[in-house]
Amino acid sequence: MDQTNALLRRAMPFQTVSDELLADIAKLAKLKSYARGDVIYNAGDVADNIQIVSSGSVQHVMKLGKGSGDLDRVMRSGEVFGWAAVFEDQRARLATTTCLERTEVLQIDGEELMSLIRRTPVTGDVIMSRFATMITKEFAAPDAVAARITHFGQAASTAPVQGDGVGSGWALTAFRLSQWLKSPKPYLMLAGFAILLSFWYLTVEVWKLPRFKDTPGLTTVVKELLSHNPVYGLSIYTPEYYQHIWASVRRVAIAFFLATALGVPLGLFLGWSKQFREYVFPVFETLRPIPILAWVPLAILMFSGTETPVIFLTFLASFFATALNTMLGVESIDESYSRAAYCLGASKWQVFREVIVPGAMPFIFTGLQISVGVAWFSLVAGEMVSGEFGLGYVINTSYTMVRYPTIVIGMATLGAVGYGTSALVRMVGDYMMQWRVRELALGGR
Amino acid sequence: MNNMIETDRLSQQAATQGAIRIEDVVKIYDPDGAAVMAVDHCSLDIPAGEICMIVGPSGCGKTTLLNAIAGFHSITSGRIFMDGKLLCGPDKPMAEPGSDRIVVFQNGALFPWKTNLENVAFGPLMQGKLGKKEIYEKARSMMADAGLSGTENNFPGEVSSGLRRRVEIVRALMNDPKVLLFDEPYRALDSLTKSVMHEALLEIYYKNKVTIFFITHDLEEAIFLGHRLVIMTSRPCKPKKILTVDIPHPRDYGVLTSPRFRELMEETSAVVHEEAKKSFAAGEREG
Repeated sequence: MDQTNALLRRAMPFQTVSDELLADIAKLAKLKSYARGDVIYNAGDVADNIQIVSSGSVQHVMKLGKGSGDLDRVMRSGEVFGWAAVFEDQRARLATTTCLERTEVLQIDGEELMSLIRRTPVTGDVIMSRFATMITKEFAAPDAVAARITHFGQAASTAPVQGDGVGSGWALTAFRLSQWLKSPKPYLMLAGFAILLSFWYLTVEVWKLPRFKDTPGLTTVVKELLSHNPVYGLSIYTPEYYQHIWASVRRVAIAFFLATALGVPLGLFLGWSKQFREYVFPVFETLRPIPILAWVPLAILMFSGTETPVIFLTFLASFFATALNTMLGVESIDESYSRAAYCLGASKWQVFREVIVPGAMPFIFTGLQISVGVAWFSLVAGEMVSGEFGLGYVINTSYTMVRYPTIVIGMATLGAVGYGTSALVRMVGDYMMQWRVRELALGGR
Repeated sequence: MNNMIETDRLSQQAATQGAIRIEDVVKIYDPDGAAVMAVDHCSLDIPAGEICMIVGPSGCGKTTLLNAIAGFHSITSGRIFMDGKLLCGPDKPMAEPGSDRIVVFQNGALFPWKTNLENVAFGPLMQGKLGKKEIYEKARSMMADAGLSGTENNFPGEVSSGLRRRVEIVRALMNDPKVLLFDEPYRALDSLTKSVMHEALLEIYYKNKVTIFFITHDLEEAIFLGHRLVIMTSRPCKPKKILTVDIPHPRDYGVLTSPRFRELMEETSAVVHEEAKKSFAAGEREG
């Protein structure tokens, strides 16, 4: 049984399924042996089961209709064929398969397999989209063939058929989301929020502790936030609320984009070229510790209007964080990787493109997460000084105009939007570094 | 049976390329003004197609020698030739790294961000010698030959460390190298995986005639794999004893229990042990 499990685990469609599901699939599998020259099936036969080569080898000749010739392939241990059995429509064999030596194959009934994985449609679609990928990539069959693979319709509309790229990337994300909902994590998260909110409620409104009693309470803030007719003029029903959010998000987005576009290349070159580093790094390190607030007067002198100085200040902070982390990322790359690349005949530029950039990627994304955090941080500093919109502006003016609940509304909104942006950066990172996601997933994280 | 005769014939048919000649090489490191001699007037001749095992205690300077051949480090004096052509010498202290001499690294250097197939295809893709399609075809068939089918689209982090080493060797062989330089590649593997890897390496060697320069501190590994053992002194490093392993190739794990293997172990272990003690007393760092 262990052997069956191990073989299934190596088979392309089942590589990402859970151990439990794999064990269930293994129960459906039957081992069958054939002698050399035996034909397992002919093109046109009824396709009732999929097959996985356990030992030996099988010749797989697929007829693609008139004019396009045959696709000839030799299947060895771990390879999957007979996938017409999991087609949506008519299940007839597309190929003729002949054993080239004494061969053992695992056979799994297509109907039974599908009714098993239909119970968990999201996982099922991952399996099916891996089938489709395998058909186009390994069998070099046209996309039209792969498109006949059954879909369970859960994540199907966004889980396209071909390509390891977008398709399985999103399917994997959907799969991880469903796993997350089944785990205790979301409930612990809710519990964490509940503790924070009840602490706030109790200290301010029930116990009225000194130092807390003058601050706005939970119920006041929530009432204000949800009021159609807010006392202090700002709630989720007033258009100004969204104007403020939009102003801040837009500034952060522009600043973050500029900081990434300039900071990542700068960091890469700082880490890569010793000479470049000698010139630039001391200057960089002198400018970096200057607090954003110290830049405010210069920013106002340098840029006209209210918008540009704020964007400049926001940009500065995230630029330094991005560039520094990128540089550290390049330095962290094991020297063996670039040595191996040189050994394999890569030029200096190829090493940069193929080793330095992807190797620094995990650090770059750590840097971007820090960078988006400090962007919000310095945005508020900037908005408190100049500007007439934005969440920082809301907080500052509400204080001078004694609208205390609005201060908290501004703070909470900042927190939520900030969390959203760093989650977005993390998601983009996970999507771009599938290798890392899969590696960490195997490490049980 | 037929197969055995075939490999036997192949292993006797000598490779014509990849002879390495190390002539009086000295390497002095001078990091803080205090000169440290890592390699001391070392001379060694490795004929084409030989598996030459370099045995010595950790930190004795074996890797320095390997890095000099590969082109990662300069040498202070002496010369290194490959097939009579100068790799590095007095006027050119550092060899040019190239795909004729490929290193298999101690901790493995498969690119974790590329799939196994992309890793295997990397060399020819960079050199731009063949078309993309042909390269991937060749990569797939070489992987299949090495028993790696089904792992093509996995990332290295998703397969076992034994498989990773095999992928790395296949990645090297894709470039038809003359010399493979192994820097203690199996050091981190458990002994069971190690034994499987040894047989797999020999199998690959019998199919692809290359010269193998293999650094290890594992005596059993050295005798099992090598045509010749070069036992090095502890730092500074130079050959102390050179020994021909007169067990015929092709070998399999049965060799380990043969009386001749035991004799060779006894003959060498005292020498190696003595150097290890010296190195320990000198407080050498691993490396």
